[in-house]
Amino acid sequence: MSGKYEMTVGIECHVQLATRTKLFSAVDNDAREKEPNACVSPVDYALPGMLPLLNARAVELAVRAGYALGAKINQRSHFDRKHYFYPDLPKGYQTSQFYKPIIGEGKVVLANGHEVRVEHAHLEEDAGKLTHFGDYSLVDLNRAGTPLLEIVSMPDIHSAEDARLYAEELWRLMTYAGVSYGDLYHGNMRFDVNISVAPVGAKKLGTRVEIKNLNSFRSVERAAAYEFGRQTELIEAGRGGEIRQETRGWSDATGKTTAQRSKEQAQDYRYMPDPDVPPLNLAEEYIAGVLAEMPKLPEDYRAAFREAGVPSEIVELILDRQSYAELLMAVLEESDAATGKIVANWLASVVMDEAPTAEQLLELAKMVQGSEVSQTAAKELLVNFSDGKTARELAKEMNLLQENDDAALEKIIDGVMASPAAAAAVADVRAGEMKAVGFLIGLIMKESGGKANPARARELLLKKLG
Amino acid sequence: MGISRDEIEHLAELSSLSLSEAEISSLGADMERVIAYFDQLNELDTTDVEPTFQVFPMENVWRADEVVQFEAGRAELLALAPEVKDDQIKVPRVL
Amino acid sequence: MKKSDGKSSLERVKEALAAAKKYEAYNIFTKLNEKKALARAVEIDRRIAAGEEVGRLAGVPYALKDNFSDPDDLTMASVEMLKNYHAPVTATAVKRIEDEGAIMIGWTNMDAFAHGASTENSVFGVTLNSRDKTRVSGGSSGGSAVAVALDIVPFALGSDTGGSIRQPASYNGVFGMKPTFGAVSRYGVVAMASSTDTVGCLAQTAEDTRLVMSIMAGEDEKDHTTLPDFFDQPVETSKLRVGVIGDFMGEGVDTEVVGAVKDYIKKLEKAGHEVAEVSLPILKYALAVYYIVVPAEISSNLSRYDGIRYGYRAKDAKTLGEIYGRSRDEGFMPENKRRIMIGNFVLSSGFFDAYYLKAQKVRTLIIKAYEEAFEKYDVLVCPVAPGPAFKVGEHDDDILKLYLEDVMTTPPSLAGLPALAAPAGETKSGLTVGVQLIGPRGSDARLLQLAAEIEGAK
Repeated sequence: MSGKYEMTVGIECHVQLATRTKLFSAVDNDAREKEPNACVSPVDYALPGMLPLLNARAVELAVRAGYALGAKINQRSHFDRKHYFYPDLPKGYQTSQFYKPIIGEGKVVLANGHEVRVEHAHLEEDAGKLTHFGDYSLVDLNRAGTPLLEIVSMPDIHSAEDARLYAEELWRLMTYAGVSYGDLYHGNMRFDVNISVAPVGAKKLGTRVEIKNLNSFRSVERAAAYEFGRQTELIEAGRGGEIRQETRGWSDATGKTTAQRSKEQAQDYRYMPDPDVPPLNLAEEYIAGVLAEMPKLPEDYRAAFREAGVPSEIVELILDRQSYAELLMAVLEESDAATGKIVANWLASVVMDEAPTAEQLLELAKMVQGSEVSQTAAKELLVNFSDGKTARELAKEMNLLQENDDAALEKIIDGVMASPAAAAAVADVRAGEMKAVGFLIGLIMKESGGKANPARARELLLKKLG
Repeated sequence: MGISRDEIEHLAELSSLSLSEAEISSLGADMERVIAYFDQLNELDTTDVEPTFQVFPMENVWRADEVVQFEAGRAELLALAPEVKDDQIKVPRVL
Repeated sequence: MKKSDGKSSLERVKEALAAAKKYEAYNIFTKLNEKKALARAVEIDRRIAAGEEVGRLAGVPYALKDNFSDPDDLTMASVEMLKNYHAPVTATAVKRIEDEGAIMIGWTNMDAFAHGASTENSVFGVTLNSRDKTRVSGGSSGGSAVAVALDIVPFALGSDTGGSIRQPASYNGVFGMKPTFGAVSRYGVVAMASSTDTVGCLAQTAEDTRLVMSIMAGEDEKDHTTLPDFFDQPVETSKLRVGVIGDFMGEGVDTEVVGAVKDYIKKLEKAGHEVAEVSLPILKYALAVYYIVVPAEISSNLSRYDGIRYGYRAKDAKTLGEIYGRSRDEGFMPENKRRIMIGNFVLSSGFFDAYYLKAQKVRTLIIKAYEEAFEKYDVLVCPVAPGPAFKVGEHDDDILKLYLEDVMTTPPSLAGLPALAAPAGETKSGLTVGVQLIGPRGSDARLLQLAAEIEGAK
């Protein structure tokens, strides 16, 4: 049945900016593990006569985000007040950008090559937090005034998977650009998914439903898939009229969405330009200055890694961690593609608590290439690096340097061949039973304490038995 | 233009004002007169005129992203609230 | 500042407090700051005796409009909503004045939240005119004007959004300065309309006005709309080009007001300034613009008064909706509610373009008209108000008439221009009349110097 229908999805993402202080007050922006209302100034509490003081860093980060989104950075923008009453909104309005946002149209390319256009992105402040009890609620304003960038996509998404990929790509872009810490657990990125369902090819979109406040990539995908199923079933059953324009909440536990509030009566927010915040007029030199500090984006790394011949599956795995991408880039800058590939494979496959430095990685890769350590030994070294030690120092300390001295190796081989444990195998090999070679190599490796180069040992052994 | 009772009630809701009957009718009458006075602005042609939202010719006024000490903190601020519980502001349950 | 005549700070403060009590019938103060003012005077005298630096206003008593934050006591803005509000912060203007050694003796009555032109619209009742107790003091800084006029204090602080310093100054025969928008920090002053709110002062002489203004003025890191200080710079007033705004000198203006302003103009001519009449027909639309833009900003700025975090909360309000609706209905004065409703009307969907946006465009035309006028003139002159102080209760039944009191003071406010009210004369019955001197942005000190020059002239 689902083949007949298609979903159309647009996503609004609230990105918490990586600033030290709030958007309009110089108070600590990091509310994690803090006592309630510990990060609140008279400005956030909206005392009479308090005025907003714009955080320069928030503007810089918005410009970075605009660049990362391939978007137009609007020279002129200003802040507007969005009015509504709620206990977590101290001023009775949220300061946002409605008429002239800082970021214009942009585009996000998903990992599968699909493109999603960005309609605009604007700066705004977060509200406080309400906790509900029996017959009362408590207001904590720690989060009130935290700077957010709301990124609004066009309805270009047509599958639950693409919805997830879009969310993932936004996360990558925002964390790489240093716009956000991207801590999803603490709500650094929250997604609102707008979804409607209509027959494939239909000119008119279905009724739009908004699923609010999703805070993981997986929940974005699951919620979109669930909602698509729910709406499709209703349409199939001839009950499409029951799909209402409303806000729904998602539960990870039940895997379902439930109605929260109807949007039939549109709110009138009475947007008004904020007379207390002077407007922004970002000159080209200002933007150039901000972009000069811009870290590399996933796309920059992709291009460089592909050019070095790193397979794209491995590239994508490395890109999951910005620090790994930075490491690989540093290694590539100091070496060739072959060395780079060795490091790329490690970064994509070895689980490390603490990543080594680029110098350590580079030296280790060179040692593998020079047969000074085995791949097996290298992987052991990778998880044991600590500050200040070079790869060679560590290899020595852990006794993992390969024995490349033929004379010493031959001595070990001779000893093994003469030992009673090897007698049968030696006879077998001499009789042409090549399977026994492996057993002998094993004995040689054991005798060398793992330091022998197995390939060289094999060559020398066969020569002696030849 | 006239302003209906429904509109007055709608505006009262937007304003979060629980107006009395008497207030609704007196406000309605006052507003009608004041709004009629505004209509004189239609005598002026404002095609291609940019609006002025702020009179000062200032742009890009911002501060450094550094935490500063404020005159009043949590204790002084919460002391102003009508009801406080566990260092939070207490309100009737939000539906 | 007026000479201390050898009196100690303590004597001066005691005298001011005694005078405040003597004139209790005028209902000037919402509360006195007796204990703290006396303690402060003792401390200043001790510092003077010890030879310490005490500042340019050492020991000078002054009065503070009820909408300035000062942790000494409550900042009530003469409204039920804030009757229990004890500000934990100090307004920048207050801090700068007190750093120079001035001593605040009390908060002055005003129209609630500064909405009004008569100081009748206060939860503490009406403040009476210094010349005639059957008349209003003007507003919204009525208490401050009368405190200065009756010589209780040599100066008082006020706020002016559309005439709230100038008009009461005119009604009581004192100087009142509304500076260029952004000249003085608004930090800690209960906001009315953010794009036209200014902080200024009322004083007995032009020179005192300039001293107080120069102390308050200048950039403040707590208000991002402040400008560098331009009161301390020397100004040239040898021969100025003066334009008399003819549109405000004819029909609808009291003849005695016109007469007093004309007398003032003669003095300007006599002092060697070049006077001509100028017509600015666009200014007559300023009042409509003002009563759209300002209520819009008021409705927004007053959204924070919700009975949740501070201020008045309706008794026995059970639900959140009741807390909001009833606290705001009971906490605001009728004029506050009227402006909130008008503001929400002009901002609401369907009306935004036709009213709010239209008004802001006409505002641009007003600013342009001033700019063109200032190419030909250094100073524009007109009355402060169409008449002298009106009777208490005279406009009770006609809100539009009350708004029309602001017709001459709102245009400079919309354009952010400095405007000074200076005493121009008296009516036959002894009511005072003020003249308004208006200059381009930043010309505040020149207006004050010109007024000082004319002040002594016959």
